[in-house]
Amino acid sequence: MARLCFGLLLVVTSVAAAAAQVPLERLEEEAFRQAAAVVDASVVRIDTVGGLERVGNLLIGTGPTTGLIVSSDGLVISSTFNFVSKPASILVTLADGRRLPARQVAEDKSRMLTLLKIDAVDLPVPQAAPRDSIRVGEWALALGRTFEGGQVGVSVGIVSAVERVWGKALQTDAKVSPVNYGGPLVDIQGRVLGVLAPMSPNEAGETAGVEWYDSGIGFAVPLEDVLQVLDRLKTGENLLSGLMGVTFKGESPSGGETEIDRVRFRSPAEAAGFKSGDNVVEADGKPVATLAQLKHVLGRKYAGDLIQVTVARGEERIKADLKLVGELPPFKPAFLGILPARLKSGETRDGVEVRFVYADSPASQAGLKPRDRIFKFGDKETPTADALLDAVGRVRVGEKTTLVWKSGDAEQSGEVTLIDVPDQTPASLAAPVLESAKVYPEDGPARGRITETLAAHNREYWAYIPEDYNPAQPQGLVVWLHPAGDTMEADVYKQWKSLCDRRGLILLGPKAEQVAGWTANDAEFVTDLIAHVREKYTIDPHRIVMHGHTSGGPLAWLFSMKNRDLVRGCSISASPLPFPPPENDPAQRLQFHLLSGSKDPTHERMVQSAEVLRQRGFPVSLPTLNITEGKYPSGEALEDLARWIDALDRI
Amino acid sequence: MRADRIRLAWLLVALACPASASAQSFPDTIDAVAPKVVKIYGAGGLKNLYPYGTGFLVSPQGHIATVWSHILDADSVTVVLNDGRRFEGKVVGAEPPLDLAVLKIEGENLPYFDLSQTATAGVGSRVLAFSNVFKVASGNEAVSVLHGVISSRTTLTARRGVFEAPYSGPVYVVDAITNNPGAGGGVLTTWDGRLLGMLGKELRDSRNNTWVNYVVPIGELSDMIQQISTGKFRSRPKSDEDPEVQLRRYSAIDFGLVMVPDVVVRTPPYVDRVVAGSLAEKAGLKSNDLVLFVGETLVPSHRILRDELGRLEAGDRLKLVVRRGDQLVTVELQAPRKGAAE
Repeated sequence: MARLCFGLLLVVTSVAAAAAQVPLERLEEEAFRQAAAVVDASVVRIDTVGGLERVGNLLIGTGPTTGLIVSSDGLVISSTFNFVSKPASILVTLADGRRLPARQVAEDKSRMLTLLKIDAVDLPVPQAAPRDSIRVGEWALALGRTFEGGQVGVSVGIVSAVERVWGKALQTDAKVSPVNYGGPLVDIQGRVLGVLAPMSPNEAGETAGVEWYDSGIGFAVPLEDVLQVLDRLKTGENLLSGLMGVTFKGESPSGGETEIDRVRFRSPAEAAGFKSGDNVVEADGKPVATLAQLKHVLGRKYAGDLIQVTVARGEERIKADLKLVGELPPFKPAFLGILPARLKSGETRDGVEVRFVYADSPASQAGLKPRDRIFKFGDKETPTADALLDAVGRVRVGEKTTLVWKSGDAEQSGEVTLIDVPDQTPASLAAPVLESAKVYPEDGPARGRITETLAAHNREYWAYIPEDYNPAQPQGLVVWLHPAGDTMEADVYKQWKSLCDRRGLILLGPKAEQVAGWTANDAEFVTDLIAHVREKYTIDPHRIVMHGHTSGGPLAWLFSMKNRDLVRGCSISASPLPFPPPENDPAQRLQFHLLSGSKDPTHERMVQSAEVLRQRGFPVSLPTLNITEGKYPSGEALEDLARWIDALDRI
Repeated sequence: MRADRIRLAWLLVALACPASASAQSFPDTIDAVAPKVVKIYGAGGLKNLYPYGTGFLVSPQGHIATVWSHILDADSVTVVLNDGRRFEGKVVGAEPPLDLAVLKIEGENLPYFDLSQTATAGVGSRVLAFSNVFKVASGNEAVSVLHGVISSRTTLTARRGVFEAPYSGPVYVVDAITNNPGAGGGVLTTWDGRLLGMLGKELRDSRNNTWVNYVVPIGELSDMIQQISTGKFRSRPKSDEDPEVQLRRYSAIDFGLVMVPDVVVRTPPYVDRVVAGSLAEKAGLKSNDLVLFVGETLVPSHRILRDELGRLEAGDRLKLVVRRGDQLVTVELQAPRKGAAE
């Protein structure tokens, strides 16, 4: 053995010497081919049959995708993205051309990978590159098997970073896209670095990160990490990200502090006795100073994992063992029963002035009346409506809290027991008093109905701005997403004009680029368009609403869920929820209003959508309508919708 | 140990390759290739039609190959060489099925690609792409160079609207983002400068919503370029009849198959029931079978199955692969004679 090694060594040395004569480009090219060839036989093509239709062109591809063999007896790992359409049947084509039916065994929902099983033996299993040997800057090849002809497709880049997406992924500049999601990222020696998958550090979900395809930012889950959990996945166990059940103050991309903001109800953190205001100082044996450091520790953990966490409370140190969970009981917002007075830009009030009191609400039972001013909720001062909303959001439905308010000059207090956010908007809710501008500035933005082009996208949109729009009076913003092939501009304008005038709403109508409907590019256009309108007009951030009808619905659903920091209301007509919704998030309020005629073919699924959203803790209105198939509602249904928008800032 | 073995293997292979081209590196290659690529300015400029493109010289007298595009709609186009010289270019001829046009400028002793000295390359080969992408180059600036590898050698098929491709046939797919506005008509070369193909236009694959960076191999084009250049040009007859106007001759029921109702875009083609005494029954098909393949073609939905069956002619053999439980079952049927179809 020793002699053999020596022999090899000699050959290598002489080869290296001779190699100096050959241009580096050629040597590297040959190395790429060799590396790809080593793994080639372990890369399979995956075809899916049936499944959900596409959401416009937005979500779901139908093309073939890729998988990687991870055991000789037929386990294949792939990207969950490839099965987001919930196909009726999955077919695997091996490198040798054999075609086999596959079944889904389990999902790793933290890394967004899916394990498949095929009935085959003696399959070639690739070698995994040791995790700690992976170096930034080394060559990395992204392999897929999706092109016609069955050959493996190759893209060459380098490892751009390790420990990305909170420790879950490698990053590469090789081109990663639906063409090779599920395939391997391979090093120059033909060892598998990781499994390619779309990912994003800021979002979770099956489609997060897809917008970065072919951009030079691609991700791969280290194969060693996959192999570590393979035995669990094999048994059919779905793996979830591990949660402590806390949110943090001032979460921001730059990091933020580890001071706990909220401890979620019935969470591991609650069981450990953690409280709002505690600072996490150590996790899993590692000192933690910033939120980013903590996320790196937690990112790789699964539900069921045990982790030791230390928090600081003043001088005190509290150490606890937490068993992480995959799901928390949904956050269900509680309701006091008031609308705060709508202030003009820059205007302030002493306490939170009440604009409207809901009948039979905790507020009305306590005796609150319009024009009263609320000063304290529980032990929290409430100088602004946002502060009151936040304080109410920290109390659960059914809990008793003290409320302090002034009626005229008389200070009053009482106990309130919070209730669920009601489904209905009271018909008695009158439009707010709107003051028109005394003198409208000559160079002020256009009012009335306009059609313009958003320069950055060279795309057209229309809008209606109330004729007596006053820059001092923040307006609600309704973004109308029309059905495919029909902007419905005239009809929607006619129905909405007086609603906009009375309730202080700007109606914004972006136009889809293609007659066939909305595509992924349109989401970016809509984002930029909203930013543009917010620059020109005074918009109330509590009343930004996406409104979609039939095939305009999917983009409205998706846009609302993906832009939680922006969108506060989502109103959908005749278009059921196309994907499972995320959890309700106390820090990013989102409310839903569904319009569905009782005889619509989609009605049953609209009712189901409302139910799914409610289970996740979202407030949902679902008025019963008598509209015929696919028709856009009118009259009282839209009056109710406008009232609902007017009440989005309810507390 | 295994890793060492692999490393050794590739070094040996590297040496075993004959050094057919002169040993040169990327900078040498770029110096040699860039002067043969020209910038073209022509019609367009409205909406999303950009008025610029790329071409490459194929003769010392100034024949230029490029993609057939709206830019050439003008009476004449402006051609700017690497050294800044400007010429008026005239279209000599075009072959739309190849998405190819040939221009001529009045020049002599120009640097050019010798079409008898071209190359082919396999997956993983390092390549350079030269083009006037986004008209970044102007005047006497050389065109832009992108670097990548051949991702795949595949075939663009225009069937079923998967691609709205101006060209169908064999292509290289590259992992660099080569196909952007203005890049069409540029060239792809090997790392040592041998001509591989002509860059195509921007193209989206509707199956997975990604952009495809495709290059038409020079072998597909060089005969036609030479024919057009020498005036011996005859447009290639269109071989395929338009699938849209093709008559649908057969449907599932002609074989005795009743499929589940086609309700959504991707309804899986499950067999609802099999008509007693029908061809399908004799062939052993059963209700709840899921049809996966017609011949070698995957049928991911009801609609595609319908299209595939529609292509059959009387007497054709029909091979179906169905999934029954966890088994794949292959059956063969013969398309029946059918009065209406004849």
